[in-house]
Amino acid sequence: MPQNADNVLDHFDLFRGPEYQQMLANKKKMFENPRDPAEVERVREWAKTPEYREKNFAREALTVNPAKACQPLGAVFAAVGFEGTIPFVHGSQGCVAYYRSHLSRHFKEPSSCVSSSMTEDAAVFGGLNNMIDGLANTYNMYKPKMIAVSTTCMAEVIGDDLNAFIKTSKEKGSVPAEYDVPFAHTPAFVGSHVTGYDNALKGIIEHFWDGKAGTAPKLERQVNETINFIGGFDGYTVGNIREIKRIFGLMGVEATILADNSEVFDTPTDGEFRMYDGGTTLAETEKALNAKATISMQEYCTEKTLPLIKEHGQETVAFNHPIGVTATDKFLLEISRITGKPIPLALEKERGRLVDAIADSSAHIHGKKFAIYGDPDLCLGLAGFLLELGAEPTHVLATNGGKAWAEKVQKLFDSSPFGKNCHVYPGKDLWHMRSLLFTEPVDFLIGNTYGKYLERDTGTPLIRIGFPIFDRHHHHRYPVWGYQGGLNTLVWILDRIFESIDANTNVPAKSDYSFDIIR
Amino acid sequence: MSSLSATIQDVFNEPGCGKNANKSEAERKKGCTKQLQPGGAAGGCAFDGAKIALQPLTDVAHLVHGPIACEGNSWDNRGAKSSGSNLWRTGFTTDINETDVVFGGEKRLYKSIKEIIEKYDPPAVFVYQTCVPAMIGDDIDAVCKAAREKFGKPVIPVNSPGFVGPKNLGNKLAGEALLQHVIGTEEPDYTTPYDLNIIGEYNLSGELWQVKPLLDEIGIRVLSCISGDGKYREVAYSHRAKAAMMVCSKAMINVARKMEERYGIPFFEGSFYGIEDTSDSLREIARLLIERGAPSDLMDRTEAVIAREEARAWAAIAKFKPRFEGKKVLLITGGVKSWSVVAALQEAGLELVGTSVKKSTKEDKERIKELMGQDAHMIEDMTPREMYKMLKDARADIMLSGGRSQFIALKASMPWLDINQERHHAYMGYVGMVKLVEEIDKALYNPVWAQVRKPAPWEDPSTNWQSKAIAAAEAEAAALAADPVKAEEVRRAKKICNCKSVELGVIEDAILANGLTTVEGVREHTNASGGCGACAIRIDEILELMAPVAPPIAAE
Repeated sequence: MPQNADNVLDHFDLFRGPEYQQMLANKKKMFENPRDPAEVERVREWAKTPEYREKNFAREALTVNPAKACQPLGAVFAAVGFEGTIPFVHGSQGCVAYYRSHLSRHFKEPSSCVSSSMTEDAAVFGGLNNMIDGLANTYNMYKPKMIAVSTTCMAEVIGDDLNAFIKTSKEKGSVPAEYDVPFAHTPAFVGSHVTGYDNALKGIIEHFWDGKAGTAPKLERQVNETINFIGGFDGYTVGNIREIKRIFGLMGVEATILADNSEVFDTPTDGEFRMYDGGTTLAETEKALNAKATISMQEYCTEKTLPLIKEHGQETVAFNHPIGVTATDKFLLEISRITGKPIPLALEKERGRLVDAIADSSAHIHGKKFAIYGDPDLCLGLAGFLLELGAEPTHVLATNGGKAWAEKVQKLFDSSPFGKNCHVYPGKDLWHMRSLLFTEPVDFLIGNTYGKYLERDTGTPLIRIGFPIFDRHHHHRYPVWGYQGGLNTLVWILDRIFESIDANTNVPAKSDYSFDIIR
Repeated sequence: MSSLSATIQDVFNEPGCGKNANKSEAERKKGCTKQLQPGGAAGGCAFDGAKIALQPLTDVAHLVHGPIACEGNSWDNRGAKSSGSNLWRTGFTTDINETDVVFGGEKRLYKSIKEIIEKYDPPAVFVYQTCVPAMIGDDIDAVCKAAREKFGKPVIPVNSPGFVGPKNLGNKLAGEALLQHVIGTEEPDYTTPYDLNIIGEYNLSGELWQVKPLLDEIGIRVLSCISGDGKYREVAYSHRAKAAMMVCSKAMINVARKMEERYGIPFFEGSFYGIEDTSDSLREIARLLIERGAPSDLMDRTEAVIAREEARAWAAIAKFKPRFEGKKVLLITGGVKSWSVVAALQEAGLELVGTSVKKSTKEDKERIKELMGQDAHMIEDMTPREMYKMLKDARADIMLSGGRSQFIALKASMPWLDINQERHHAYMGYVGMVKLVEEIDKALYNPVWAQVRKPAPWEDPSTNWQSKAIAAAEAEAAALAADPVKAEEVRRAKKICNCKSVELGVIEDAILANGLTTVEGVREHTNASGGCGACAIRIDEILELMAPVAPPIAAE
């Protein structure tokens, strides 16, 4: 018996035992219609060729290994950033299970989110009853301060009207009439998770500022000296928002962080379960109308939110996930310009340290070629940082990047001699990336966990930066923004470079003459 | 006189050393060890020097007898490369403790040797003495002898405890250990007229491997390299070589000279840094071997390889010319390298604006003048402020130096490239020079340097520390220009001898008053160069400068 109760083998070892190997071989032979291994090998090799790449890029309908998620995921991510708020997704519950597991696997935290659990009859007759019952149950069971409603495709296809449904639910007594139920339509067949973030945040802001769907008077703006800050959909939200708060503290800037989910995605283990933790309070969200300006760290996460805020008379400024010295300089200068607060010496020293660290290690990164994929803003931030390091972001790919984004990336390439041979790929997927890595190899790949298949197939070492990161823990606790964040990013890149040097030199008596202690 | 001090005395009295030959009898007796200045931040100790000289012997177990400090801080810290065994990388130490210090560490040392031989069976064990066991009187020579007899294996004592002097002395003591216990103890399987020793080459970053294929092609056999990528046996039979090359370093001159004396192996001092230097060295090797009986067509093969490799290297370097147009280099490094890379840099279109001469000899300086013109900017010692000023005035775009100046350069916002031992690229031979030029290209065009030079965007460039420092320096200079008396005072206050703290003015006065013409004379009158003697070159220059105005002859 390969398995025995005294020493239970896990799957790493168990299936390597002769019994299983034999069984798998038989199964293949008798039931799997096996092909000639040489033929399989031939096709595998063919899939690495420029000829295959051409066919791959001619693909029109099929997406293979997408590097994006759906709108409601982004909506849930934004909603939990508000005090005591539970995201309520109107639609089928299976989708909701996906968002919860996706976020939990990345942040290693529980992720609370409910669904109206629409089934077949709801799909035929409309989901009103699910909304009525769902809101009532959610309100009574989880005692939230706010329920933020978004939708899945199912509700969108049958055209459920959230505004009307919520109104009816309130009339039916599901929740009190004055209770806050902001909403956003977030069909997955439009855009991606960054769009969903945008829509949900816009829905919440609109709700508070513009008369709560006709149930209250619109707020009057009374300008003050504060600013609003929006992080966007960001896998590093825990570390980043804390870092931003620290920076604002050093500068003496009074800021409202909108959709601040840095606490709920990092709750302590101290015996108390926190379904809700931290977050932007509802009162703060209302007062945010009075701020002088709103800063968005991710342009493509706030394409609709920022114009709404601008309509209310605020100045709006958008960045593209700024990483590194120049990008952080620009960010701080804007904050300083808007608030009139000088940049303190402490930050200037941090800046100097980052420059110092880059200079110390420059020789190892200089001229290295990178492929990057991820969300549009993160791609821009990373590409900018790599150019600053003297590296070449040879392939930059975003499945959810559009034409305008591509132009922006191209402009970034054009701004540096290191961008000369770099290309941007909007709307492409990871199977396209596979062809790129085979036909135009690079030294390193930057992307999320799914990049590990590309790493395995193409041998390009993967640097895990992005969302989701499922197979490495706790990186989300470190910032990538600010000078400290730039340092973290630099270290992650360098670590992988050194690991790969070590891995290439560690064969005893063959290559280990270069397996050095000092790098 | 113990045998260690006798050995040290012997090492000091090195006729092969030009510096030593120029010394008076009394000076020679004093030795060439630089008295380390208390309070200074000088480099390593004699132990370290011995260890780095022998450590590249790859198949040997290097056992450090001492407390954890010596080996714990130093094992596997050099980028020497091995084509075979990696035993040299394993850190062996007796790690002595308090009890050993009280009762003696000899037993522990003997047991350690035994365990190494039982577990690793290396062709030899090198035992390094360190300060503590030397002070408590552990006799490693006796222990090694006992172990050698008991286990029938070479166990080589390397008697170079840290306190006897600096690193360079340790290099020489390591050489003595080889001469005394290793060289000449075995015989090669066969010999050829083309057998060569390379002495003082450590194969850092695998540099030797950039030259060895050329030697192979020409048909020259490296019988033994001391000690880069070396094996014990090769060193043991190195006395059968026909000729030797001492690689640009005075560190192992005693080995080269004594092998000439004992075994009649002629040697020359050469370098594989720089294209022409490499060619010269190859020619010299061929010439010596032919002199020793190798067929003369060896020279034809050598010339053919030189012609081909030079053409290749110059062609590869020429490609960089447009990129290096107008770029200026400041070279800060020790001794010979200052001039040996100059030609290659110039060929690549770089303009050399200065080179350090801190460790260079008078001949080195002459070479520099030859290459860079009479007004070559030779820098004795440069402060970060001066570096920054050079950079600021666009007089230099990049600095090439050893690791120690790296951080100064960076703080002074100066792009920098490592060309000393801690570097990660091999710059030896023809390909090495091309590699160096490639690396300079990278360093020049890395965007971080622009970043380094730019102040933070919110900073007022007129008030940052760099401009303040420059303003202060300029104000000083202006004040001096306006006040010739003060300027003269400052000029005269320049310290020439650091050990004995003697200023230029004092020396000038002594020369004028006593009509001095020699360094010895100056030392008698002012005590200058009475310490480490490094300033003798500077005093020589002062004497030269003053010669025309000095009274023709005065009684001494």
